[in-house]
Amino acid sequence: MAKLNIPPPHGGELVYRVIGKKDYAESMAAGAIEFDLKPTTLPDGTPIRHVYREIMSVCYGFFSPVEGSMTSTDLEGVLKERRLESGWVFPYPILLDASEEDIKAADIKEGDRLLLKLKGEPFAVMDVEEIYKINPEEVAVRTFGTPEDNPEVVREPFNEKHPGYMIYKMMNDHVIAGKWTIVNPPKFREPYDRFWLPPAECRTVIKYVKKWRTCIAHQTRNVPHTGHEALMKNAAYTGDIEPCHGILVNAIIGAKRRGDYPNEAILEGHEAVNKYGYIKPSRHMVTFTLWDMRYGNPIESLLHGVIRQNMGCTHHMFGRDHAAVGEYYDKYATQILWSEGIPSFGFEAPPNEVEKGLKIIPQNMAEFWYCPVCGEIAYSESCGHVDKKQKFSGSFLRGMVAEGVMPPKVVMRPEVYKAIVKWWKVFNYPFVNKKYLENLNANLEVDLAPMEIPKA
Amino acid sequence: MVHYIGVILDESRYEQIKGTPIEEKVQSIFGGTLKMLVVEVPEDKSEQILKAFDRARIDSRGFIEDVPVAFRRAVFEEIVKNKSLDIIDKVLERLPEIQELAKKEDEYIPPPEIE
Repeated sequence: MAKLNIPPPHGGELVYRVIGKKDYAESMAAGAIEFDLKPTTLPDGTPIRHVYREIMSVCYGFFSPVEGSMTSTDLEGVLKERRLESGWVFPYPILLDASEEDIKAADIKEGDRLLLKLKGEPFAVMDVEEIYKINPEEVAVRTFGTPEDNPEVVREPFNEKHPGYMIYKMMNDHVIAGKWTIVNPPKFREPYDRFWLPPAECRTVIKYVKKWRTCIAHQTRNVPHTGHEALMKNAAYTGDIEPCHGILVNAIIGAKRRGDYPNEAILEGHEAVNKYGYIKPSRHMVTFTLWDMRYGNPIESLLHGVIRQNMGCTHHMFGRDHAAVGEYYDKYATQILWSEGIPSFGFEAPPNEVEKGLKIIPQNMAEFWYCPVCGEIAYSESCGHVDKKQKFSGSFLRGMVAEGVMPPKVVMRPEVYKAIVKWWKVFNYPFVNKKYLENLNANLEVDLAPMEIPKA
Repeated sequence: MVHYIGVILDESRYEQIKGTPIEEKVQSIFGGTLKMLVVEVPEDKSEQILKAFDRARIDSRGFIEDVPVAFRRAVFEEIVKNKSLDIIDKVLERLPEIQELAKKEDEYIPPPEIE
């Protein structure tokens, strides 16, 4: 087998549409029509998505080659066969939606330049290429699939209990399409700032600081238990002539649900794994991507592939029920996609074997459990004591944490637990509750400096 | 289908059941690092629990999880009081009281004192 190297960015070139120099930023924004970014909400007003996270991820290159809000041609290509107009694979519609009233009130037309404002401050500009109408419910259905149209993996029709489906269904019925450029780069608050490593910088760190030739990505939205740690360590044994040099943990940070762990505990919990030597820091790194998770199992795994290839990973570990909620998809939908393809979603072959597909290599993993006979954490495909298995359960651990019981270190590392308790003391609660959500939704993860924009 | 509720036993809880018939039902898991009692819950009763608490769910092991701390405490209290694991009806009788306590839990759970 040939030795692997960091793959090229998806689409060939890393997108970077951020202007840090004030003079250039001001001249780009001068005279633009102001437009306030608003969250997408449920009918009861609960925010479920903020488009600013997508603008950040696009402009810093996580979603390369996407450069902005999709045109109607791109949208149709993505919904029909997960391809952009350029032919490159991309899984999800990325859209700046707006109501007809807001478009009319600001008198926005194709050809205009918009100044997108976040938390009352200038944030990004976009040149409007197209304004078109969508049927949000249709977009939601086609994004995730149906049992009739996608019988290989969709098991139940998507409905209002599915968070990703609701993100698309609750969008406004007009889309403003065009490329985004950030003109007032937001500052991340503690502790996000320590883990913010956009693709260009991440690739540089991987290549010149960590000196990893191969690197496997670990998707997370949870505080790690030792089952996750075993997954990371064992999946990393893949590689080429030797195991992967590095493990890149990339947390998805976005809209939260009650009962989740706080973002801060997730990031610092993963950091504790390397800080306290369970996986050496020279081999393990924690980062995050802003994205309101859609829970689209195989579709989400494609986005994860795009993000992590752009960050410089050669491999990606995928487990059972990857990025899933409920029973909408087959439990192995992601692994089916990456091992044989899903023709009804546009993949006659796995996404890394199709034209203009991904270069990242999948590592489909089964399960880890504690085996009392082996006396260790065992891999389900290796351990023969199936009837004795003691499964890791995130919700079981949450119950233990809520009761104030320190989990045994064979289940959760004490330093990871301490990261949970640290943020528990800050928020007076170990998990996301109403107050945490109100605070997150009002303040987001970032602050923006005041910026005066000259009039045209 | 039967579901389960797992009650974790720390030292203080273990002391309360030591010497009772319950002690021999204690299960040791994760290499003896954790002690647990497992209460069986018939399906119709697990449905009542799921209805009573909006975040409650059955996990991949068949255990009822993401229930309020007040619920778990009530389960343990009934085990101690009745010296039996057949207590789910007694716990369900206390549902209104547990739901009230659970509401307060949404705002504050005291953090443990650890270094």
